[in-house]
Amino acid sequence: MAFKRSNVPGEDIKLAMGMTAKRRQLIDETPATPLVYEYGVNRLAKALHPGYVKALIADKVSCSADCWKITLASAGGVFPYFRAGQFITLSCKAGESFLSRPYSIISSPKDALAGKLEIMVQRKGLFSSFLIDEAPEGTELWVGEPSGDFHHDDIRDRGHILAIAGGSGVTPFLSMIKAVSEGSEKFRLTLVYGARTRAHIPFDPDAFKCDGVDAVIVLSEEEAEGYRHGFITADLLSEYIDDDTSVFMCGPDAMYRFVRGELQGLGFDPSRIRQERNSVGDRKVDEIKHFNLIVHIRDAVYELDAANNETLITALERAGIPAVVRCRNGSCGFCHSRVLNGEYFIAAKDDFRRSADKKFNYIHPCSTYPESDIEIDIPIMNP
Amino acid sequence: MDRYDVIVIGAGNGGLGAACKVLNAGKTCLVCEKHNLPGGFATSFVRGRFEFEASLHEFNGIGTPEQPGSTRLLFEELGIADRIEWIQLKDAYHLISEAEGYDYVMPFGWEAFAKANNRIHPDGEKYINEFFNLCRQIKEAMAYLSECKGKPDPQVMMEKYPDYLACGSYSVKEAFEALGYPKEIVDNLNTYWCYLGADANNLSFLHYANMIYSYFSMGATIPKHRSHELALAFEERIHELGGDIWFNSEVVKILTDEDGHVCGIRLRDGREVQSRHVIANCSPHIVYGKLLDSEAVPERAIKLTNFRKLAGRGFTVFLGLSKSAEELGLKDHNYFIYDTTDNVKQYESMKSIGNTAAQATVCLNNADPDCSPEGTCIVYMTTLFTDDSWSSVDEEDYFKTKNKVAASMIRRFEKATGTNLHDHIEEIAIASPETYARYCGHPQGTVYGYESQYYDGLMNRIQMVEEDRFVPGLRIGGGYGERLLGYPSSFKSGVNEAGRTLRDIEKEGR
Repeated sequence: MAFKRSNVPGEDIKLAMGMTAKRRQLIDETPATPLVYEYGVNRLAKALHPGYVKALIADKVSCSADCWKITLASAGGVFPYFRAGQFITLSCKAGESFLSRPYSIISSPKDALAGKLEIMVQRKGLFSSFLIDEAPEGTELWVGEPSGDFHHDDIRDRGHILAIAGGSGVTPFLSMIKAVSEGSEKFRLTLVYGARTRAHIPFDPDAFKCDGVDAVIVLSEEEAEGYRHGFITADLLSEYIDDDTSVFMCGPDAMYRFVRGELQGLGFDPSRIRQERNSVGDRKVDEIKHFNLIVHIRDAVYELDAANNETLITALERAGIPAVVRCRNGSCGFCHSRVLNGEYFIAAKDDFRRSADKKFNYIHPCSTYPESDIEIDIPIMNP
Repeated sequence: MDRYDVIVIGAGNGGLGAACKVLNAGKTCLVCEKHNLPGGFATSFVRGRFEFEASLHEFNGIGTPEQPGSTRLLFEELGIADRIEWIQLKDAYHLISEAEGYDYVMPFGWEAFAKANNRIHPDGEKYINEFFNLCRQIKEAMAYLSECKGKPDPQVMMEKYPDYLACGSYSVKEAFEALGYPKEIVDNLNTYWCYLGADANNLSFLHYANMIYSYFSMGATIPKHRSHELALAFEERIHELGGDIWFNSEVVKILTDEDGHVCGIRLRDGREVQSRHVIANCSPHIVYGKLLDSEAVPERAIKLTNFRKLAGRGFTVFLGLSKSAEELGLKDHNYFIYDTTDNVKQYESMKSIGNTAAQATVCLNNADPDCSPEGTCIVYMTTLFTDDSWSSVDEEDYFKTKNKVAASMIRRFEKATGTNLHDHIEEIAIASPETYARYCGHPQGTVYGYESQYYDGLMNRIQMVEEDRFVPGLRIGGGYGERLLGYPSSFKSGVNEAGRTLRDIEKEGR
């Protein structure tokens, strides 16, 4: 061995033995400056991911036969900044139920910093009807933080987005064009929107006539000047695809199947197609069966009824149990829960669990249907 | 229940290990975790058709069932070893360093590694054999010290472990200078520095030598189902032993009684739970700066915390690629891509955003071909920031800044390996220091606990572990603990603190 910082015999060992005394001395000499309570990086983390934010309904405007634009104002004066295309969840007590639903943001990222969020609500079920008919301006709601990966990414995606939408699926693109026009996002966007007639269009197509943004509206049941007639076919799509195009789709599953088929015919690379996922709803069953659902939240235990045609989250909400849920399509993992015992069903297309979750029997209740009496442990909702 | 023998704050590796240890001893235990999952950094996430490993590159200390490493033995003791499926890694790393023109693959295994060093220096094997003999003595000395609980027989130490004693005060740099090895050999032996994140001037030689010896002699593994498998194995065991874990349950206060002894915790929703013993699996910066009332924190705890240095802040780019590893020309599992192997220089350049002087990159499919659908692969690239450059980034710049860093890391990897990844990116996720701060709450997005400093290295911390503790009933374990950072260390630290807590409980009972 050739360790020799010093030629004095035993000196190295003495130095090693003295390390703790030296450390003790250095600590003594360190000032007792009060510790920082919040660090810069943690402040940013909190600003971008504050958890639930309390908000009020500030305004409601009808924008088509069955769509309303709802403006939310943050009680604290600010909403978290986000990526255009992301969604939030709205949660509140509606009647006897405690409901949460995801909505794409249609306002711009900069609006959020000014305390404003806009969403578009289509009349569909319990919660949308509550928002449209029963929740007056001033109603308090919890807004879950912006989430989702349905947004442009300048590393992954090309410079031109061919945005294909149907129905209320236009919503994430409404935020994207605002982001492009205010400069918070940089890409070109062409919207191809399919609707039956002009009366079914829940937005102003002129909003898409700005620099780098274009809209092509395809009406299936009406012919009108300035509008295309027919369906979103390969021929039509090919006019808007260049070498620098990524496809983003948002709309019903039937539209995804059809458009994917058309794009395949054009030889378009499927890894360049992104589609927003739709909520997992009720399923068709031969016979509706009712099961006993036991739910643990921390040390509280609830017993309720769950039907095999409804997801576990639906059963929880109906019983008025505030249950954490975010995407409602199985993908985000926010409602990650442990199964203690019982059988369940998850459709392969809605199963985004981690492989270890499958091994150790964890589920996402938003995409899981009971197949027997079932006992689960869910995380507490903690606004 | 509103009263437990022990409450663990944080279900990271240290917290999970601590809870299992406490429960195995028949005590009641509650783990409070602010996130909705166990594991802390030991987790995974799904994007599209890919499941990404959040943090683990190479897990050392498991070994094989026939030749178990210390962490496998620890897992056996805790009752979780059989619940995890391990994959043994073939090679240690592929090093590419631009300044010196290095581009080679190093295998695991003492002999294989020693022989491979002949390719970089004619006497490589000889140096490595000598070096590993020294490392073995260090490892054995540490095992002896641990066995005799820090009270060794000086005679035994002098006779059996003289080199260990001699190099106790040496930094890595000083030790390699003293050993007088050729630059090529030293550079190769320095490759693993980024797993500890401290430069050669500060890093304790004993610590580093012990680590690399462990890696090369025993090899490394990964859990088949990402590190989420570890976390869930622990969670399963905790429930089996009657313990509780509450998720979405952030502890905002550690409560103390009039004697200054721990008496419970308060959660963010206001609920209080009683316990005379708390093991915090989080940063002392948070414990002393935020969780305890200031009157309960002695001045020396503040001094010690100020004395310490926050270690590397993490940054990782996760790529789901629409081509197979083979099609992309990715042959290896683990790449280290450095501008230079001079880690003092690397460390300095990692202080600002914009330089990506070092990256550790994994192509997971080369360890586990089934980790993603056929015709695809998963690549993740990690670097560290060694200062607070991210704390001045604001919301509106944030997404652009992290994409800029990610893009430069991808380019750097492509240039070093002659591959094209960017045309095949189907999914991307980027974790910045902000992301690590968000999920685990560590100050400034630190992922490596406290940096191994010259006077705050492994041996000092182990020897002063009781002296570094101030509040009766409170112990702090995990990545900020006496074993420093890393998977095996954080488990071990949590288990050690739980062992000390059990002794505290026993003393109370007497």
